Amino acid sequence: MKPFLDLFPQNDFSLIAVVLLMPLLGAFVNGVFGRRLGKPAVRMMALSAVGVSFAAAIATFVALNGAVDAAHAANGEPAHTKLAWLAWEWMRVSGPNGSKIAIDLKFSVDALSGVMMLVVTGVGFLIHVYSTEYMASDKGYWRFFCYLNLFIFSMLVLILGDSLPVLFIGWEGVGLCSYLLIGFWYGKMPNAAAGKKAFIANRIGDFGLIVAMFLLVVYCGALDWDGIQRHANDLVALTDRPGAINLWPIGGGRFEDFVIGGLRIPLHYLQPDKPWTITAATAVGLMLFLGATGKSAQLPLYVWLPDAMAGPTPVSALIHAATMVTAGIYLICRLSFVFVLSPAAMIVVAFTGAATALLAATIAVVQTDIKRVLAYSTVSQLGFMVLGVGVGAFTAGFFHVFTHAFFKACLFLGAGSVIHAMHARVHDEAASQDMRNMGGLKKYMPLTYGTFLASTLCIIGFPLTSGFFSKDEILARVLIETPSGVKLANAAAPWQWPSWAPWVLWTMGVLAATLTAFYMMRLVFQTFWGEFRGWTIGRPSQLPKTAHEEHGHTEYEAGEDGDEDHHEHHDDLSQPGAPPHESPRTMTIPLLILAAAAIVAGIFNPAAIKLVVSTFSFLPLEHWLDPVFKDAARGIVTADHHTAHTRELISTAGAFTAFAAGSGVAYWVYVKEAGRPARELMLKVPRLYRLVLEKWRVDELYDKTVVSGVDALADTAASVDQGIIDFILARLTALIVAATGTVLRVIQNGVVHVYAAVMVVGMVGLGWFFVEPHADFTVVEQNGDYTLQAGSGPGYEFRWYPDATKEPQTKDFSVSDNLKVHVADGKSQTVKLEVKNAFGRIGTKAYTITRPASPISGAGTVQIREQ
Amino acid sequence: MIPIEHYVALSAVLFTIGGIGFLVRRNVLVALMSIEVMLNSVNVALVGFNRLPTHNNAHTGQVFSFFIIAIAAASVAVGLAIVLSLFRIRRTVRSDEADLLKN
Repeated sequence: MKPFLDLFPQNDFSLIAVVLLMPLLGAFVNGVFGRRLGKPAVRMMALSAVGVSFAAAIATFVALNGAVDAAHAANGEPAHTKLAWLAWEWMRVSGPNGSKIAIDLKFSVDALSGVMMLVVTGVGFLIHVYSTEYMASDKGYWRFFCYLNLFIFSMLVLILGDSLPVLFIGWEGVGLCSYLLIGFWYGKMPNAAAGKKAFIANRIGDFGLIVAMFLLVVYCGALDWDGIQRHANDLVALTDRPGAINLWPIGGGRFEDFVIGGLRIPLHYLQPDKPWTITAATAVGLMLFLGATGKSAQLPLYVWLPDAMAGPTPVSALIHAATMVTAGIYLICRLSFVFVLSPAAMIVVAFTGAATALLAATIAVVQTDIKRVLAYSTVSQLGFMVLGVGVGAFTAGFFHVFTHAFFKACLFLGAGSVIHAMHARVHDEAASQDMRNMGGLKKYMPLTYGTFLASTLCIIGFPLTSGFFSKDEILARVLIETPSGVKLANAAAPWQWPSWAPWVLWTMGVLAATLTAFYMMRLVFQTFWGEFRGWTIGRPSQLPKTAHEEHGHTEYEAGEDGDEDHHEHHDDLSQPGAPPHESPRTMTIPLLILAAAAIVAGIFNPAAIKLVVSTFSFLPLEHWLDPVFKDAARGIVTADHHTAHTRELISTAGAFTAFAAGSGVAYWVYVKEAGRPARELMLKVPRLYRLVLEKWRVDELYDKTVVSGVDALADTAASVDQGIIDFILARLTALIVAATGTVLRVIQNGVVHVYAAVMVVGMVGLGWFFVEPHADFTVVEQNGDYTLQAGSGPGYEFRWYPDATKEPQTKDFSVSDNLKVHVADGKSQTVKLEVKNAFGRIGTKAYTITRPASPISGAGTVQIREQ
Repeated sequence: MIPIEHYVALSAVLFTIGGIGFLVRRNVLVALMSIEVMLNSVNVALVGFNRLPTHNNAHTGQVFSFFIIAIAAASVAVGLAIVLSLFRIRRTVRSDEADLLKN
């Protein structure tokens, strides 16, 4: 251990470079040479890149554990420890008050990012293995693995970045990879549109993140985690700058009546008695949360995630379920010390999370597409996580991120396995993913069924599974913990949550959990139980000799060359066919590992056991993350021990009831009654059913409001461009030039005599100029002495009158072209000059020089006035 | 001895005749001749001024007039060449019909 730590000291831990750069290398090799390398080499490169990265991540984690233990021993209590690696110093930007803010390309691993790093590389590796088989017959194999490796790299940059700008690079990188992979089969219009939708929705969130960065620069003067933490109090303190941000009037102005002539526009009604302000902490928190809603698919930006299922299923598992979408929760956990300063921002976070969990769960109840159900379930689970961090239970929220990564990845891969089997005969994408065409698959795909069921039990909170512990923990914490903000001596008291808020949040959470149990069990029953509905399964003797393996994946090939013709040779599904087949081992082994991990991951934080055994304290994750959230804990109020115990009991009972009721109803509806009650209900309230089936028509609402609003704005901009820019700037200038040209063309008539006449006129003018005498002189002043210098000309002679009313200086004209006069303080004098030119003509010019009275030195403004 | 005013008057008259001839006649040959008249008027002025007693028999004016005669010969040579070219292209020696560059 010691040589290892000598090789990688704590503040120059370059092993991080291996974790980070291996996936980048894989992406580079596969992206640049992949087409020529062939599939085995691409597979080798992709797997080894992520595999080595995973191995290095484990080594890093072990080293981190050693460093944490050492710090614990040195300080006597757990301290926040991290391993850092500075890639290079990037730039310095000017901060407030002339300070310099260093933005370095620096990466660090601490307890929080260490766990994320392991999840991303570990789950990422398993999904890579799975994909090598799932994508085996796709023409864009190399492209797929290039993107997937690039995603792992970007995600690691996001997690390991030691400051917001570096995180933002990763944040954008994963957004890009997400876009590329959603539109992986870009030949199909809906896929390309889904990619675009994801990108734009994320862009809105990114706007919030950027604004948050600006605010942090202004108020904290730092962008790295340590710096923000050190200066976090400045976000609410009122010491040297206003700690409040004016919402209305915007920027803290004042509305005055606007007067044009006799017209008075009474704007002062807009001026409130007291300006509406929020603290900088609230503003930063809300803006960061806007970023999180984009990435983590929360209301109102969740709409992209369900559409993102257009991408290949492993992508849905890795990016849109296990890792990328949790980036928002990671960001909130990472900056927990900022969020706790503002209970107002926290209540927005918590309610957004709860509402998202509930809304997405209702939609998932009626969907029939297997991936769509899982997609809405992901949105719903992300809502749970956000609810957790929103009430200040950062460990619980993050624990759910951790467990969710396993069971949701497993669910998606299981769904992929099912779709893979369906593709043997159903080549239409929608039909192959429709649960109504499935059923009874547990007989044919036992491994997929087993792992899928295990993960489902986790997500619905079957007791003692990981999902039970993590979700129960969140719900319990909602009742126990309340953000209270931090009371600072030099700041106003923070706003407090109303007392009903935790109970409302808890009720929403339990309802969502009930629905989760219902729709997940519905999914299992419809897909794996009952009779197979895809096609008639014939006896082996009835089957044609050609098995369907050869064209089992035609759908995937369509994307590369956009060739839709593959769908033409549909199997006739009315003919009996071979039973659906279990997926190959490269797909089932990752499933088994993930399912096992999903079942046992609860061991890392089985807080619910405390209810039964009060002395139980085996909570590795909580202790592990404690130093990270220690600073945040000061802004959270926890109920006293007795109340907490009671509420935990209530909460656990509620969570268990939710699980039991949801899955029990699903069993009754879909197994006992074979779906009859669902159909009856559907017929009874057809309009409500259609409304939910069409996802509450949120997309349509956005189309009508936001999208059409932006379209209208674009139309306006286009007409302004054509009407004003094009017309005034382009056409009008051209018109002026053309008109001038038309006038000038009359003169330029090509007749030599006219030119000659013009020349003669010019010559006459020149001659007249020489004949006329031009008397003029300049005046230079110095302390009352004025030097007058006459302008010269051919044959000029001068006669000066120092005082115009008196005799000239000399009687005759002379060649002396300058004159010196003195003017006393406060006096004024008129100087005259006569000029005689070679033709004997005389010109005259006179100036009055006025010197103002100056009490000190006599120097003052000289006024020279022409007579 | 003829007073200087006569020379200057003659020169002015010749220059005016040449100038008016150049401005009003459309025949390029006549225009060229008008230019010659103007140049010669300048020559008259130069040699006339040269005879002033203040010049102490220096011959600057006369020498200058020789240069002008040489330049006039050169300009006529070039001018006639242009007129010939113009005539070949347009079959005319009228300057108002030489409008190839117009528009």
